[in-house]
Amino acid sequence: MQKYEKLEKIGEGTYGTVFKGRNRETMEIVALKRVRLDEDDKGVPSSALREICLLKELKHKNIVRLYDVLHSDKKLTLVFEHCDQDLKKYFDSLNGDISLDIVKSFMYQLLRGLAFCHSHNVLHRDLKPQNLLINKNNELKLADFGLARAFGIPVKCYSAEVVTLWYRPPDVLFGAKLYTTSIDCWSAGCIFAEMANAGRPLFPGSDVDDQLKRIFKLLGTPTEDTWPGLTQLSDYKPFPLYPATNNWNQVVPRLNSKGRDLLQKLLVCRPTLRLSAEQAMAHPYFTEN
Amino acid sequence: MAGNFWKSSHYQQWIVDKQDLVRERQEDLKYLTEEEYTKVQIFFANFIQVLGEQHKLRQQVIATATVYFKRFYARNSLKSIDPFLLAPTCIFLASKVEEFGVISANRLAGSCTNVIKNKFGYAYSQDYPYHSKHILECEFYLLENLDCCLIVYQPYRPLLLLIQDIGQEEQLQTLTWRIINDSLRTDVSLLYPPHQIAIGALQIACVILQKELKHWFAELNVDMEKIQEIARAIVNLFELWKGFDEKKEIAGLLDKIPKAKPNPPVTAR
Repeated sequence: MQKYEKLEKIGEGTYGTVFKGRNRETMEIVALKRVRLDEDDKGVPSSALREICLLKELKHKNIVRLYDVLHSDKKLTLVFEHCDQDLKKYFDSLNGDISLDIVKSFMYQLLRGLAFCHSHNVLHRDLKPQNLLINKNNELKLADFGLARAFGIPVKCYSAEVVTLWYRPPDVLFGAKLYTTSIDCWSAGCIFAEMANAGRPLFPGSDVDDQLKRIFKLLGTPTEDTWPGLTQLSDYKPFPLYPATNNWNQVVPRLNSKGRDLLQKLLVCRPTLRLSAEQAMAHPYFTEN
Repeated sequence: MAGNFWKSSHYQQWIVDKQDLVRERQEDLKYLTEEEYTKVQIFFANFIQVLGEQHKLRQQVIATATVYFKRFYARNSLKSIDPFLLAPTCIFLASKVEEFGVISANRLAGSCTNVIKNKFGYAYSQDYPYHSKHILECEFYLLENLDCCLIVYQPYRPLLLLIQDIGQEEQLQTLTWRIINDSLRTDVSLLYPPHQIAIGALQIACVILQKELKHWFAELNVDMEKIQEIARAIVNLFELWKGFDEKKEIAGLLDKIPKAKPNPPVTAR
């Protein structure tokens, strides 16, 4: 730890406290994530190990870099690239106004980071504005891989309860056990809408039922016809048959028609019909002027 | 993280050169011959296997733990940390990384005590001296020495793909799988990519079962020289293993290893 000087506390992560730090030699500012070892029989927490493992394999400009792992008497500290703020704080600083160019740029960077993860068979599983870091050059980086996992090997079912409710897709809310990259693409869609509305969340549900209701009121309630296998999901229960809205220009009034089209293709209830990150990057929204 | 082996930390940092391996091992070869060193590695691979089976771990987890063990001692002398402590620590870390779930360090130390008493008494006559706190402390050293490269690619998945291509060959698959397990007692997991190891093991299995697959092998786009090296390493292991009376020899070999320095890394003893 001699190498870094600890500065102020930045926040609380999934498994420990995050401090700002400075490399004493290079003066570079970094983020120091102190891993809590509270369960004295478990050693380094699995979530921290998962993050270490994955970030060691994923090196990309839209994914936060892990520089170093340090250990000094019974403490483990992960040293990350530092970013000035996260997307949530960025929203707070906006006062309800965001440039549409920024929305497009952030969305593209989000998809590019995601496509890279997915091409390495890694799901993030917990995308939300707090986990997207923004530096002063307006570069966006995916962070907090504590819940992420590689899906290369089909082992047991992934644990339930992993994504913050607001960004969870309906398949996960209905208890789908085998999720794929499509889980992250739904979250990306929700974040896209939230960015376009300068930080107003699209589906701020208060519980699972309310979350699903909000989704279906916008997209229409799925049925076994539109989504074969739906009723077999372990936590499935019927909902009132809401029709789909077609007033997308009221949902995201500032987004143009191509942007709305992209959003609608990400926010698809049936996971197999959702656009992949790679496909989304090729959408005309990003090529128009 | 399947499919991206060539970009992985495994390939970029942990496929090492034979010469480097030999050079790093010089310290240990001051008191062990090369053959004796291999016997010690055989013994600890067996120990990890038995320990893993005690906790009902999948072979993949056991294999990862064994590779951690080999990677650690590829860069460190056997006297730097007592292998009897490092072995359970490798199991501890691998079971978390492979998402098997956490085994409590306490239980692990307990099962070391039992396994040593019931199965490896011939190698270790004292009581097992380590407790959970030693495993937890050792985990840090292991992480650091692995440079946090925790994702290990194993030959098992490539094997299944190869077998699929050959056509359902259950006997061949079972035997090759076992040969891959055995290969963990050699250095091949440090020297060659896993798919090559799978092919090398498959070749040996074909010889044993007298299966004629020459054409199939000829069509593989791989460096056959490497495959031969792997096959030779495994066959050499079998030769050595046959003549290795572990029960008689191992205690003497372990005695030759200078005791791990008390501090650091491990405070007890």
